[in-house]
This record gives sequence, structure tokens and C-alpha cells, in this order.
Amino acid sequence: MADKILEIKNLKKHFSTGFSLNIDYLYVYESTIFTLIGSNGSGKSTLIYLINMLIPADSGSIVFDGQEILDKKNINQKEVRGKMAVVFQEPILFNTSVYSNLLLGLKLRKIRLEDYKDDLDFLIDTLKLKNLLTRSSKTLSGGEQQKVCLARAILLNPKILLLDEPLANIDQETREEFREVFFEILKQKKITTFYITHDRNEAMIISDFVGVMENGILQQTGSREEVFRRPVNERVAKLVGIETLISGVVASASDGVVKVRVNDNTYIYAVGESINGKKVMVSIRPEDVIIIGSDAETASLSTLNIFRGRISEIKNTGLFMKLEIDCGFPLAAYITNASINRLGLRIDREIFAAVKASAIHIF
Amino acid sequence: MGLIFEGIKEAFTLIFSGDKVILGILFLTIRVSGIATIISMMLGIPLGFVVGLNNFHGKRILTSFINTGMGLPPVAAGLFIALLFWRSGPFGFLGMMYTPTVMIIAQVVIASPIIAGITLSAVGQINPKLKLQAISLGANRIQMSWLIFKEAKLPALSAIMAGFGGIISEVGAVMIVGGNIKGSTRVLTTAAVQMVRMGDFSSAIALVIILLVLVFAINFVLTLIQQKEKEKWQIKYWK
Repeated sequence: MADKILEIKNLKKHFSTGFSLNIDYLYVYESTIFTLIGSNGSGKSTLIYLINMLIPADSGSIVFDGQEILDKKNINQKEVRGKMAVVFQEPILFNTSVYSNLLLGLKLRKIRLEDYKDDLDFLIDTLKLKNLLTRSSKTLSGGEQQKVCLARAILLNPKILLLDEPLANIDQETREEFREVFFEILKQKKITTFYITHDRNEAMIISDFVGVMENGILQQTGSREEVFRRPVNERVAKLVGIETLISGVVASASDGVVKVRVNDNTYIYAVGESINGKKVMVSIRPEDVIIIGSDAETASLSTLNIFRGRISEIKNTGLFMKLEIDCGFPLAAYITNASINRLGLRIDREIFAAVKASAIHIF
Repeated sequence: MGLIFEGIKEAFTLIFSGDKVILGILFLTIRVSGIATIISMMLGIPLGFVVGLNNFHGKRILTSFINTGMGLPPVAAGLFIALLFWRSGPFGFLGMMYTPTVMIIAQVVIASPIIAGITLSAVGQINPKLKLQAISLGANRIQMSWLIFKEAKLPALSAIMAGFGGIISEVGAVMIVGGNIKGSTRVLTTAAVQMVRMGDFSSAIALVIILLVLVFAINFVLTLIQQKEKEKWQIKYWK
């Protein structure tokens, strides 16, 4: 594993509005993409402001590139900031040409353009900026403006790129296309990225590591798999998109398999360790649920968890259709529209749902 | 009606005959209000900019003072300056009363708050994140201020226009501190008042027409600069 380029400990910031930010511990490895997700007002943007020293912290420690950056007396803030780049949620461009905006960071940091000419040409090409260069930044669309902001930040070749929901104001279609290109560039250039987003699907696609913030508190950090598969609490589970959360009691736990009773007749099996009688929450990701049309087909499945249920709701969520199944407990499942037609699924139809024990998490 | 037409006719005759008295009044008006606008611009723009861009204790009070100053009656400004420069006043020893210099001072007192107030309001409307973005891109305080100033330069031009318009057309202050002395401190507005009092409406109309043309010409130039700034990007090509 690479070195930690950013390490935050016991960071506190209190605002007169009553909001407080408390980060016990957070780290970002070099050349990785760390994504912070959380609801509105959870303090995600504040954290970026603190890391970039745009607002002062009340206490705690932020070590960036081996340097304690909250120690104002012993650091040159401008110099430290010179190793970072920030892109805000709304595109922030100055009232000049796109080209001047692109070069502004280099100019302010006294970096010779000649040393970055290849990078500039590469970004202009890859992000399709050539036709925009002579235009006034104010005449661009929101998406184009944000492209310029992102290109300007990457051009600085920062040791960490701080992105505060930069794609939030771009329409869905452009966003997906642009995201692919943009994150490809970041990976290619190995730029450490601290990325804030509301969109958990985006976080799932692009991240190496994920953090979940709620009410100013960092609830969980870890690898993408860890956070999305094994949330530490109900709030994190909801924020990472786990729709099926069932409370139960451990009936038995042996050989790495925990059997949880979720109601009188229903048991759920999960891979893990626990103690008999412990009250637990069972979380099942909707994409891990397999829908089976008839009883006969279930015989050939190896999974321990096969639930009989009735479809109570079918919802279109865009990419997938979401089924709400009443199995004695509510179970959500994602399925394609083609599968719905193929299996002839409709409301009130009886079906079977299978989930591998290894895909079920208890906490 | 006859009086008006006669007045207008007389006015054009006075203007195009190159009357020395009229020209003298015109040049003094331009000199006094021009210098006063430049000084007010040098005071008002930085003041409005600093107050608008920074948060500090007393910002609200200072802003209230500036806003009050924007509505300062010229007569009050004239009286205040007259008291300061009167022979027995604190600056009486300078002997500046009834000179163009003290008229300039009075006009600076009137125009500076107007320019500062409009600049302050313009800076206040600039997205606060521009400041943060400039800092995060590596700007020091001076560079950041310059970048923000460039964003506010068009509204700053409006502030200059408003300041100039406020002083070239005022009569109270220059009348009090200048005394409307013929050939010395008589400007277009005070001269027009004098002519009306004397019943010389032709001359008064001539002076007012000159005043209007002057105000229009200067504002037209400033508007052209404003418009050119907006259109600049449509004619500038990157090579």
C-alpha cells in the first residue's frame, strides 16, 4: 500500500450556527481516489475548506505530505496550498477568456507554461476544450465551465485534488460521459483525489476508498467494498444504499455462519462471527438479491437464503427496476426491465428471492 | 413659449460664437469636477473595495456611514467645508475659501461616498467563492484583491459615472464654498442660477444646454468603455 498523503486526527470545527464537525481519524493514500459521501449539511464541504486552509480549525491535526498544516506558525500556507487544487460545486471562473482561466493557477504559482505545455495540450484534447479557448468564460454552459475548472485544477498537477461535488450541476448524460473521461485522466496521472459526492453509485464506480459523513461526524471509512458491503451502523447502511435492514436475534453462530431469526418463522444466514442471543441488524444490498420465478428452480441453488414472498411494489429507478418483496420482512431487489418481462413479474405475484450468505452483513 | 425659443436661439449663438466667458466657465467646471472625480475615484473605489471584500469589526457601522454619505445633501457638505475653511475655522489660515481648490474638496466630500457605496455594493454581489478560488489557486492577498477588482471593474465604472453626475450637477456646495465669483469660481451650475436670478434666461438656457451636453459626452465615453469591455471577448482571438 502506498504512503498516506493526508492524515486527519481529532479535527474539530464549531460554527456559530451550532453545527460542529468532528473527525476522529481519516486518511488518504497516495494516488488513490477517496470519496466522501453523506447527506446535505453533513460537513463534507467544510472538511475540504479545512484541508485547503480556507477556514481555520478549532483543534486537531491535519498532516499533509508529511507536514502538520494546522500549525500556522511553522508552515507557509501558500506553499502548502501550492501542492493542492480545489474545484468547488459551482464552476468558479474569472471574467476573462477560457485560455486565461486555464493558465491562471500556473501563473499565480509562478510555474512556467513551457514545463506544462504537453499537459495543457493533453487536457485541451482529452476534454475537448479547443473550441472554447478564445471564448469568454461567462459565455460557456455550466458543464463547459466546470470542465474548464477541472482542467485548470489537473493542470497544476497537485499532490491532492480536492473536489467538492464538481459534477453535481451537470446534466445526467454529460455527467456520465464526462465522469468516465475525467476519472480516467486522474488514474492515468495518479493524482490523489479527495472527492465529495451525493451520488453513492458514482462513489461505487470511481472510489478506491470511501468515507461516510453524517451530522459532522465521520461514521465510517474504509475500502469501497468494506463500506458498501459492511456498514458499521444503520445510518451508514442507508447512506450507502442498503435498502433492506432487518433487526433480528442471533439464533446460532458456528463455522463462520451466523443464523439470525428475523421473525417467528424466518431465519437469515450470514457469513461472519457473532454470539447467540445478540440483537443484530441484517443488511442486504438490493443488487445482491436474485429473483427466481418458480419453486422448482430453487432446488439447484447452493445459497442458504431462499425466501418465498409476494411482490408488493415495482418501481422504475432509472437504470434498474426495484422490486419490493414481502417475505415476512420487506426485501428490496434490483432487476432489469428485461428480466421483469421474461419472468412475467407483476404486483402480488409470488416469487422466490435468493441471497448468498456471504453477501449478507450483520452488525 | 417665445421666451424659450428665444432662449434656445441665444444659447446656440453663445455656444458657437465661442464666448470667452462661457468657455471660461465651461473649462473651470470640467477642471473642478474632473479633478474632484479623479480624487473621489482614488478614495472611493479602494474604500468600497476594502470594506466590501473584508470582514472586520465595525464593518456594518462603516457601511452605514458610506450609505449615509451617498445621500449627503450638497448644501450640508458645502456648509461643513465652509466651516472648516472659513477665515476663523481650523483651516482658515490656508486662505482657500472661495477658491477652486476648496470647491474640489467639497465635491470630493460629495462624490467619494457615492463611488465607495456603489463599489461596495458591486463587490458584495461578487460570488464570495471567487475569493476562495483565487486563494486556492495560489494567489496572495494582493493578487486575490486584483482578481476580484477586475471582476468588479464594470460596476466600478458605473460608480464613477454616478459620482461625476452627482458633482457636476450640484449647485449648493460650490455656491457656498466657491462664492460664484465671476472669472474665478463661477461654474456652469452656479452661473445658471445667477442668470436666472438676473432674468437672463437665454444665458441660463445656454449654460444648462452646455452642462447637459458635457454630462452626456462624459457618460457616453464611459458607457463606450463599459460596452467595449463586455464585447472584448468576441473580437479577441487566441493564436
